Amino acid sequence: MDKMEGSFAVEDMQNVQINIGAIVKEVEEWDQPMGPFPYPTIATLRDWDFKIMNRYKVFYSPICDRCTLCTYGPCDLTGDKRGACGIDQAAQQGRIVLIACLMGATAHCAHGRHLYHWCLDKFGDLPVNMGDEILVDAPITRTIAGIKPKTLKDFGPVLSYFEEQVSQLLASTHTGQEGSYLDFESKALHAGMLDHLGMEVSDIIQTVAYDMPRGDEDAPIVECGMGTLDKSKAILITYGHNLAASSEAMFYTEDNNLWDKVDIGGVCCTAHDNVRIGEGLGYPKEISEKYKMVGTKAKIAGAIGWWRKMVRGDVMDCVMVDEQCVWTDVLNECSKLKIPVIASSEKIMLGLPDRTNDPVDGIVDDLVNFRMPGVAVLDPTKAGEIGVRTAIAVKPKRAEIREADPFLSEEDFKKYAESCTYCHSCQFVCPPHIKIGDVVQAAAKGNFEPLSSTYEICVGCRRCEQVCPQDIPILSLYAYANKEYIRNQKFKMRAGRGTVKDTEIRRVGAPIVLGTIPGVIAIVGCGNYPNGTKECYDIAKEFVDRGFIVAASGCMAMDMSLYTDDDGKTIWEQYGGAVDGRNICNVGSCVANAHITGATIKIATIFAGRNERANFDDMADYTLSKIGACGVAWGAYSQKAASIATGCNRMGVPVVVQPHSVMYRRAFLGRTDKKEDWEIIDARDGSRVYCEPAPEHMLYVAESVEEAMLMMAKLCIRPSDNSQGRMIKLTHYCDISMKYFGCMPPDWAIYVRHASDLPLKWKDDMLKELESKHGWEIDWKRKAIVSGPIRKMDVSFDPTNIERKIRTKK
Amino acid sequence: MTVDTTKNAVPFEMAQIPGPEMAKAYNTAVIGAIMKKAKRPLLVVGAELFEDPVMFDKVIAIGKTGVPIAATAHSIKGFIERGYTDNVTMIGLHPLTNYLRFKDWQGLDGQGQYDVVIFMGIFYKFASAMFSALKNFNRDIKRVSIDRYYHVNADMTFGNLAFDQDKYHEAVDEVTAKLTA
Repeated sequence: MDKMEGSFAVEDMQNVQINIGAIVKEVEEWDQPMGPFPYPTIATLRDWDFKIMNRYKVFYSPICDRCTLCTYGPCDLTGDKRGACGIDQAAQQGRIVLIACLMGATAHCAHGRHLYHWCLDKFGDLPVNMGDEILVDAPITRTIAGIKPKTLKDFGPVLSYFEEQVSQLLASTHTGQEGSYLDFESKALHAGMLDHLGMEVSDIIQTVAYDMPRGDEDAPIVECGMGTLDKSKAILITYGHNLAASSEAMFYTEDNNLWDKVDIGGVCCTAHDNVRIGEGLGYPKEISEKYKMVGTKAKIAGAIGWWRKMVRGDVMDCVMVDEQCVWTDVLNECSKLKIPVIASSEKIMLGLPDRTNDPVDGIVDDLVNFRMPGVAVLDPTKAGEIGVRTAIAVKPKRAEIREADPFLSEEDFKKYAESCTYCHSCQFVCPPHIKIGDVVQAAAKGNFEPLSSTYEICVGCRRCEQVCPQDIPILSLYAYANKEYIRNQKFKMRAGRGTVKDTEIRRVGAPIVLGTIPGVIAIVGCGNYPNGTKECYDIAKEFVDRGFIVAASGCMAMDMSLYTDDDGKTIWEQYGGAVDGRNICNVGSCVANAHITGATIKIATIFAGRNERANFDDMADYTLSKIGACGVAWGAYSQKAASIATGCNRMGVPVVVQPHSVMYRRAFLGRTDKKEDWEIIDARDGSRVYCEPAPEHMLYVAESVEEAMLMMAKLCIRPSDNSQGRMIKLTHYCDISMKYFGCMPPDWAIYVRHASDLPLKWKDDMLKELESKHGWEIDWKRKAIVSGPIRKMDVSFDPTNIERKIRTKK
Repeated sequence: MTVDTTKNAVPFEMAQIPGPEMAKAYNTAVIGAIMKKAKRPLLVVGAELFEDPVMFDKVIAIGKTGVPIAATAHSIKGFIERGYTDNVTMIGLHPLTNYLRFKDWQGLDGQGQYDVVIFMGIFYKFASAMFSALKNFNRDIKRVSIDRYYHVNADMTFGNLAFDQDKYHEAVDEVTAKLTA
């Protein structure tokens, strides 16, 4: 029935669905005209990408010099060499970057696709109702797809678009397809943008279906940490990123009044999503009537970096895994300790038998009696029930193991520690370079302090154990020495608030664009910290105290919760949860990161009145020139982090990452010695202006947390800052430099346009230096700059990088 | 007696095997001679100097022979605390390497691109990746490591001395002595 003409009767037809054209409906319900780029394909935004890459040079640091993807290989691509197919090193790196971004983007989108089907099955089609204070409800979807979703089903075409684009992008990585690194990177930027779309769709679906907070600055404070799990009860750990099965475990527990018998603790982003359920505006009714605030009954066991420490720390009776970020040896680790594993997603089945269609009683019986180490159950409701019942029933059977095995006996601890031959094999493989040999040697002499002080630095990768010629279970030594810490790891954090309210944007839009709020800092990431979890707290604290808007998500939000101030308060208890200066908001799980880039679109549309509909490059251009936002992924480990960062970059948001992130292979770095790279258009008249390098870089690896903080402050500087805003931003930039580097940053002068840009604290000294060191002409009577700056301060300067934004062409 | 810096030439992170072209470990006399012969050397040092603070003094000793120093991360603080900033420039390792890969860059002093860069005191994985960037995208610069690790993507490196601090100190002193000889 592709095309029907004339009249037809439907009275005898059954189960017929007649689709009314979606576009017609949209025009009727949204008066914003369609923008230039609805559903952009690979090449649609290529011009924008090339503008970014012209200013921010693509920088590669290959991890592998070879290509081993086709049968001509391995090909050595070192230096100027090319492979048999003709590919050079830069293009090969771009290819790997694209593949990584596709891995990340599809992880989020496939999550959304699963939730789409599951939620439609479970709840039916629900209205996308984000509450009275949010009219711009799905900013990224609006900007990319050009649609305004009314119900969950409206996300169907959006997901189909994503899937088609991913298919086209992945095809381009086949041997004999794309050969230019710039085009690989343009495609990677496309994949990154799609990732943010996929994240937004995923989070809106779960927010709407599970009645999660919709931009609630007062989202509940919940319990976080291994020590919060009550060992007098059975403990079910739900681990991964997709709440479908985990929420069913919570509903089963609620329906059967079992909270006094079982504790449900989440690991990684499932933890975030568990504790958001039922805390929203009261709809859908199915959640609000039966499960209101049920999220507060679940606990956040911890971030991904704590996973293996939890297993060795004896904090669980049963594990249910869903998808993404699940360490793939979960079955090995758990089966050693007789912890039954339930795999609830097709994406992670671990070689387990698919028992989806078997009766629950039989499955529980098999697991509880250890007849099999785990099962795959792909029906979330069934998996949830099995998880709870198994945890409760297996607990007494595991008593013997719980007492004997996970914590070593004193005798065994001593025996292992003394068997260390100080060969340093462990240190050769330790990601954060812990001097494990010294730590173990100290333990052998009865000094546990090194095992305690490096516990938070250990990323739990277990590489040390695998290379130890003496087979010392190093993680178990850590667990033994940190028993008390594990028991007492009890902290509070704010549940994810979800999106950003329009009302908040109205409040902070102008201060952000003018610079009087010095920046928006997004703290995202996982558990691969170069120097432990404490740095998460330090970064957050530094910027909240300085009046930045700080947004956090995912595992870094959990890890910053493990520290308190002198009053014993975590960062979430010290500050409010609004999108405002001197606040810190937890947006939620990994997919909630979309709300941070979505907020930049909301500033452009709500504060500046720009049309976001199918208008991606305009939104990104506005962000790049006017919104002082900077992301930091200090513990980033995954391909998802690569695609999130790349999507931020296409949106004009710079990102700072930790030194391990050189594994991502690619950065975008500016050259301040190339004046021509920083030419920008004044949209008032189309004139071209040499501008200060703001922001200087797009994707930047920092070597130390001190350098990261300095760079984050600098990357919040934007051409649109007014003098007061620039002065505030320069004050923080210089102050962080003085605090951690002991000197002024060497490049502060290039950001000065007018004497009123200068921080009051150092104004006279700076004027002197501008005159003596930089040769600027200073009028000392007026304390004014006569000549010298790259450009003069102009309050009505309207920077853009897009020709069509010129209001009057010259 | 000289330190044998050619032993233990295996990547410090053992899985760091990039491909057919891997660094050779040299003794201190050869590395010292290469640094001395360089027309435009640049010593790049990072935040790991704070973990073994005496290394700041050893870097300063090299700086005093006329080799300019790029202080990456927040390592500039260590030089300020010791009152030595004469030829020390604060710059991030990432942007510095980005500049180094472009043949038209004029250097930290505006006098032209460098011909030999020497790394020390930098987080291993980061330094290794930056050596890789130069190895693949600017082969005109000789890449030298005098860090305590075997650096697989350098041209010339020490073997691993990470577990013998005294020997490592001695090796760096030998290089410095060669520069002043």
